[in-house]
Amino acid sequence: MNNDVAKAYKVSSVAPTLQLGVRGAWMARLSRRGLIWAPLLMVLAIAAAPQLSAAVQLKWVLWLSFGIVALSLDLVWGKAGIFSFGQNALFGIGAYAYAVTALNVFPITQETGSALIVAAVTAALVAALLGYAMFYGRVGDVYLAIVTLAVTLVLYTIMSSTAGPEYQIGEAQLGGFNGMPSLPSISLGWPGAEGNAEFGTGALFNFAVCLAGLLYVGVRFLVSGRFGAILAGLRENETRMELLGYDTRLYKLIAFVLGGAIAGLGGGLFAAWGTFVNPSLFGLSQAALVVIWVMVGGRGTLGGAFLGVVLVQWMSDEANNILNGQTPLILGAVLILVVLVFPGGLAPVLQKLARLAQSVLPRSLAVSLGFAGDPRTSQMVLSGLPAGASGLAAGRAGHFTVHEIAKNFGGLSVLRGVTLDFDGPRIHAVIGANGAGKSTLFGVLTGRLAASAGHVELDGADVTRQPPFRRARLGLGIKLQVPSIFMGLTVRENLELAIHASRVSTPSEHMLRVLDATRLNTRMDTIVSTLSHGEHQWLEIIMVLAQNPSVILLDEPAAGMTQDERNQTVQLVHELAKDHTVVVVEHDMAFIRALEAPVAMLHLGKVFRVGSFDEISSDPEVIDVYLGRHHAARR
Amino acid sequence: MDNLIVVALSVLTSVAILILISLGLAVIFGLMRIVNMAHGEFVMIGAFTVITLVRHGGVPIWVAIALAPVVSALLGMVVEVLLIRPLYERRLVDTLLVTFGLSLILFQLAVDIFGTTSPGIETPLGAMRVGSYSVSVYSAIVLPIAALAVMAGLYTIFTRTKYGLLARATAQNPHMASALGVYARRVNLITFALGCALAGLSGGLVAPIVAVSPSLGQSYVAQAFMTVVTGGPAFMMGTVAASMLLGSVANIVSQVLTTLWGITALLITAMVLIRLLPQGLSGSWRRRF
Repeated sequence: MNNDVAKAYKVSSVAPTLQLGVRGAWMARLSRRGLIWAPLLMVLAIAAAPQLSAAVQLKWVLWLSFGIVALSLDLVWGKAGIFSFGQNALFGIGAYAYAVTALNVFPITQETGSALIVAAVTAALVAALLGYAMFYGRVGDVYLAIVTLAVTLVLYTIMSSTAGPEYQIGEAQLGGFNGMPSLPSISLGWPGAEGNAEFGTGALFNFAVCLAGLLYVGVRFLVSGRFGAILAGLRENETRMELLGYDTRLYKLIAFVLGGAIAGLGGGLFAAWGTFVNPSLFGLSQAALVVIWVMVGGRGTLGGAFLGVVLVQWMSDEANNILNGQTPLILGAVLILVVLVFPGGLAPVLQKLARLAQSVLPRSLAVSLGFAGDPRTSQMVLSGLPAGASGLAAGRAGHFTVHEIAKNFGGLSVLRGVTLDFDGPRIHAVIGANGAGKSTLFGVLTGRLAASAGHVELDGADVTRQPPFRRARLGLGIKLQVPSIFMGLTVRENLELAIHASRVSTPSEHMLRVLDATRLNTRMDTIVSTLSHGEHQWLEIIMVLAQNPSVILLDEPAAGMTQDERNQTVQLVHELAKDHTVVVVEHDMAFIRALEAPVAMLHLGKVFRVGSFDEISSDPEVIDVYLGRHHAARR
Repeated sequence: MDNLIVVALSVLTSVAILILISLGLAVIFGLMRIVNMAHGEFVMIGAFTVITLVRHGGVPIWVAIALAPVVSALLGMVVEVLLIRPLYERRLVDTLLVTFGLSLILFQLAVDIFGTTSPGIETPLGAMRVGSYSVSVYSAIVLPIAALAVMAGLYTIFTRTKYGLLARATAQNPHMASALGVYARRVNLITFALGCALAGLSGGLVAPIVAVSPSLGQSYVAQAFMTVVTGGPAFMMGTVAASMLLGSVANIVSQVLTTLWGITALLITAMVLIRLLPQGLSGSWRRRF
């Protein structure tokens, strides 16, 4: 499949730049996917274990359990951009689930592996419930932080008030504020098998190292692949992801549930470490700690999660020796300091040092150590491109109709029965003065707004009630007025996300042609935020093309452009219309004239005139409307 | 009948407390888009101000309650200048984390100064009789009146004063407001101090009827957060509406079952509301305060 794609890209001059990521070969790729460093550290830790005292081993088990929950937050926050205070609550739920299950199961089966699984599943279920309410309710980012924190605090109150004998699950007393003591530690083996026994300190240490290592490798592997690219897209620009046809709610939920399962495992390990659980797991300082670990380690670095735990816990242990019982004071100060002084955390500082080291090290060694290049650029080899039979898809046109569309906002009716028909590979223009209902119509066309009455059909399918991502999958390409692209990602990553989004198509010849024409192919590894306004507009159009849509919607494509850029955009739109059905919503008359397309004019929420540009612009009533005389006379 | 009146009065008290506790948070969030995670600690500071003044200073309780917001507002101003101002142009999460750090520090300082438990003060005004029941006048009458007075005061501030207009304008379009010559820094300083003053006042008002400890704020803050979130964009009246709904639900459920279930019911109601009305109760209101 790579061959096909490589061939495909040789059609254009893109090929040389696309090869960039491949250099560094398999060592770098393994390193990038987390398969070198972490296993190496695991082996080292297990080899060194016999030399460590039991106290040190136990301390590391605790730190690794914290590291696991920090890792889960880094996945959810650092990678998917969901700021949650609830990660420690899921950790606590995992710990409680382990405790309850272990107390019930261990006397019978002599193993607690099942309890660990229950811990992960329970935490994942709670995360799923919470995540469903939040993501499908489209709770915004700050609200999400508040909701997750409130859930945590409420859980604290609830678990603290379970002291009575009525709060018993099987053999397990929840125990209120004092929690649940004397839990069995980890014991692996087939349920009920002979020889199952609780792990001693050494075995527990090895188990913790393996669990943390495997989880790290798993997460790293996941986020360096296609799923990671989608998460990056979510973090950078949710709207565009949706317009590209991704169900953003679902992906956020998946990330959150995965994070929940990981946090639950960490909680289970924590319960096995201390052989007790109590409600302080749901406390405010614990909630703060998880965030502090990730902040200190460096958000989005994954490995930083463990680094942050070690640094912060070591520091607070030391501080506790000097100022007994002042942990919250110190944590608070650390948090404020990190946010104000090192907002990126310490991992990036270390990475800088590593890069310095790289300039000293021989090149081949640096590559094998995984320092070569920015991992984000090498990550995006276009190898993941879906390949069809021929490698390239031909452009296609579609048929998009709206029938008797009405839209009311409260008592205000903005659209009052609009019927329009867009078809064939050609341009259709929709114009209207301010307040005519253009933006509302565009919202109804994209699916951002639900029509109050009437229906919308795309290539024969009724999409009236479909959200934007479904319409996008059915072949609707949408370009918003303000460029909606992933500012923090490179051109290549933007295109990758767009191409991945299309489930049916391959990169169209058309897209590659436009990529060439705009010369963006020479800037594939540039971070998009450094491009010019015009380039942003074009990149977005290319991304829309990457989905090989049948119908392309353009909202005021010429807004904020210079005369020169506008002329180029007119050409670009003509180019698009060679293969696709293009709908342009615009109020700039000069631009519309240059498009030489059939025009539908909206006025007061209805289609006022349909015709060629010359017919419309010479119609005295239209002139009245645009100059406002007609409107004034009617009052 | 008497029973019903007692239940009704108890609901009234819960709602009043929830309104008082939530409004400070709502003002700062609604006008500055800052989640003040240290809100609970400002409530706690108000409560300790009253306790300390009454027990050690011999100050009359009503004077002490009036001084509580002054103390918390002054502290709020210092916090705004030192911690919030440097972060204006940064992400929302940053201010949230900084105030979180502040809340941990204030909590630990309170533990160091006052210990983990504290002797209470007597509830003023004694009790009144409702049939065969005895009800605290302070809880049943004074707190609801205080909540109404605070609402009326805020309404006046936001509709009748120059600051109120400037603050609402800054919240809706900070760049335009600046372009019109509004000094956003001063407006934000006053807003933050006002929010902290409200927190301190609510702490001072509840001090006579609860066990005051450094964790006082934490026990209220989750409810306050849920209330503000469910309230939605009309930060003042939305919060009041959410307080009425959530406060009633929590109180009634906890009277029928236990306090534990009351809090759970509050949480579940809030989650269901957020799922059904993502914009909050006031999402479709025209009024934005």
